[in-house]
Amino acid sequence: MPPFARYLLHTLFPPDVLRPTEVGADVLILATGVIIMVVMTRRHKWRHLWTEWLTTVDHKKIAVMYLIAAIAMLFRGGVDALMIRTNLALPGSPVISASEYNAVFTTHGTIMIFFMAMPFIFALFNAVIPLMIGSRDVAFPRLNAMSFWLFAFGALLFNMSFVIGGSPNAGWTAYPPLTERVFNPGPGENFYFLSLLIAGIGTTMTGINFVVTSLRMRAPGMTLMKMPMFVWSALATSTLILFAFPPLTVALLMSLIDRLFGSSFFTLGHGGMPMMYVNLFWLFGHPEVYIVVLPAFGIFSEVVPTFSRKRLFGYETMVLSIVAIMLLAYGTWVHHFFTMGAGPTVNAFFGLSTMLIAIPTGVKIFNWIFTMWGGRIRTTVAMLYQLAFIPTFVVGGASGIMLATIPADYQFHNSYFLVAHFHNVLIGGTLFGLLSGMYYWWPKMFGRKLDERQGKWAFWLFLTGFWITFGPQYLLGLKGMTRRMYTYPLGYGWHTLNVISTLGAFVMGAGFLVLVYNIVYSMRNGERDLTGDPWDGRTLEWALPSPAPEYNFARIPVVYERDAYWDMKEKGQTLANSLTVRDVHDLELPRNSSLPFFLGLSFFVVGFGMVFSWWIIAGLGFAGVAACLVAVGFDYRGPKRVDAAFIRGTEVALGRLRA
Amino acid sequence: MAEPLINRADPESEEAEAEGALAFLRPRFAEERFPWIQVWGYGGSLVLTLGAYFSVVRHVLAPQFLVAAILAMAAGQAALQLGVFMHLRESRGLSWQIVPLALAFFTALGMIGMSIWIMAFKSGVS
Ligand code: HEM
Ligand SMILES: [Cu+2]
Repeated sequence: MPPFARYLLHTLFPPDVLRPTEVGADVLILATGVIIMVVMTRRHKWRHLWTEWLTTVDHKKIAVMYLIAAIAMLFRGGVDALMIRTNLALPGSPVISASEYNAVFTTHGTIMIFFMAMPFIFALFNAVIPLMIGSRDVAFPRLNAMSFWLFAFGALLFNMSFVIGGSPNAGWTAYPPLTERVFNPGPGENFYFLSLLIAGIGTTMTGINFVVTSLRMRAPGMTLMKMPMFVWSALATSTLILFAFPPLTVALLMSLIDRLFGSSFFTLGHGGMPMMYVNLFWLFGHPEVYIVVLPAFGIFSEVVPTFSRKRLFGYETMVLSIVAIMLLAYGTWVHHFFTMGAGPTVNAFFGLSTMLIAIPTGVKIFNWIFTMWGGRIRTTVAMLYQLAFIPTFVVGGASGIMLATIPADYQFHNSYFLVAHFHNVLIGGTLFGLLSGMYYWWPKMFGRKLDERQGKWAFWLFLTGFWITFGPQYLLGLKGMTRRMYTYPLGYGWHTLNVISTLGAFVMGAGFLVLVYNIVYSMRNGERDLTGDPWDGRTLEWALPSPAPEYNFARIPVVYERDAYWDMKEKGQTLANSLTVRDVHDLELPRNSSLPFFLGLSFFVVGFGMVFSWWIIAGLGFAGVAACLVAVGFDYRGPKRVDAAFIRGTEVALGRLRA
Repeated sequence: MAEPLINRADPESEEAEAEGALAFLRPRFAEERFPWIQVWGYGGSLVLTLGAYFSVVRHVLAPQFLVAAILAMAAGQAALQLGVFMHLRESRGLSWQIVPLALAFFTALGMIGMSIWIMAFKSGVS
């Protein structure tokens, strides 16, 4: 074998990607790839895929792509979780080794936060925010596509590390010195830093897009205080993104420079400050937890009124508390490293600011309860997730308050008590919220409902599985079990609780399978949504047919009341029955573009080259990025025109306009 | 007539509002044939970056002076980015800029100040 080939083979496939799990994954990936290729070619679908999906700038299609990615990543993160749990149920004979375990919990956490929760949120933002505010798209449609492709290629780079080069293994927080090159020489952590940097650019652009969209693209008459709460949550989330991602970018970049170019920002020696990384990371990290939970709050604020058939209780206080949470979220980050020992003043300050956040959060909980109070509640799947969310999130919040109590935190920190806490809020808050939103808006996205009976099965499996998994972990934490251990000696009284916890994890796994079956089944057999308003909704997206036509609104509606569509229905004037032929004009819609895809691809090449310090490849990637940016700058083609006759035809076919 | 994608407010009422005391809010947009300002701005930002880098790597100044010099270059860099690339001098109206800008400065200075406060912990211990 020529030395070059040997070098390549050894770099791309070091021993830790040749373990049985990884080789099994290789086979699966190759097989799935081949099957997809064959099916696509047989059905001549490549051109369709390219023109209708990969180059689209339509927010509704971008939403679908985000959703597919999020569910795929939920699967990958879930498999990681089951591997973690299996190992912990068998302390005598661990199934995976310590080093593999490190890789697995690292990818589990990173994927769940950055590549599952974030795209799931953007899927729902894209699917409904423009419809809710009576707009034809987001403010910057092509930028939106760029965000998606940067996310997608970032996710690809991260997931690739599993089978090529080696996984990152320093936890989702990637603290130095665990990531320092001398202690962690392989390419794994480079994958982590580069993929998050690339996806982070996309996330920042999404933040900009939704701030501008919700501020500038609202239909006439929709003042800020008439905006649906979900739009408020998008605005707050996007603002949080704008201020939270820069510290992360800086921290990741400096760590990467430490690793690739031998600087010493965060190294142990040479005057580096590892704790400064921790500070910067959580400067991002705490706002991040609100970035992932505020959208869930927004979803519940739409779901609860609809299924209680009442208007949202205390809209003004809801807005006030979301803004308060947004501001306070920046002032609490030290609670993630109280044990650094910054001193009593610093710790006391941040302990108090943390507890303060519980107040606006509590206000929101009470408002949802008062909305349901005396309402006519329909227990659809979307509503069940909300009903489960309240107690689950309250327990998570209460354990959070316990963790914010500094002397106690010196005991709880990095124990399973913490693991139970953040899963309580992440699964009970974020994931339940996102699933609720998915069931609620699915008919709007795809034109069919998800089957409710199967959905309820999945829900109950998730909920019971969740409590069986994470309930015992609180006790394990109190018994002194720390996080991120791959095995433990028998005789500490940890074993039984761990076995119970693992059983719960498999119940959740079953819930996921039912969820996927539910989706696949309902794509073909789900009840058609012919009215566009299957739930008797209150906001503008339900005024449109399901799925909405490409141009969304044949005529931009005028908004008079907070629950705009509810108001229209009460006055007997829906969009459909008030549209006349004369209202329909020619429209301009953004033109499809392949540049976002190629920009993402170029960044991927940059990332791949830098992971292995192959500078020629990285240089080619950078040239590609520059070329894409120049091409964007000199693209003078105007928008695409959609003529009135076509729109009239579509509206007539949908039965919303008399010919 | 084609309906634009972006719902702009009525331009006439905006103009009427922008007279008199509110004249400073009137929208302003620069139009040039070649973006010289941006080209110079880009060059300037590179110079400031490389200046900071080499003054650290080459140890040209005593530590206190070095910190002062880097801070000065950082301020210059911030001004340059805001003025040249964030279109601070041109706008739909100042009110759209003052509030976010103030918020941004407040947040940024808060983050820096608090970080210094937090990371000063060693002085209390050692
Ligand atoms: C089937 C459901 C899940 C199970 C059974 C599960 C299990 C676990 C376990 C056992 C750990 C601790 C690993 C260790 O420290 O040794 C962990 C860590 C973590 N999980 Fe999950 N998890 C699940 C879902 C989620 C979801 C939905 C999210 C986020 C939205 C999430 C985010 C995290 C994070 C951020 C960590 C910390 C990773 C680290 O310490 O680096 N998990 N999970
Ligand atoms: Cu936090």
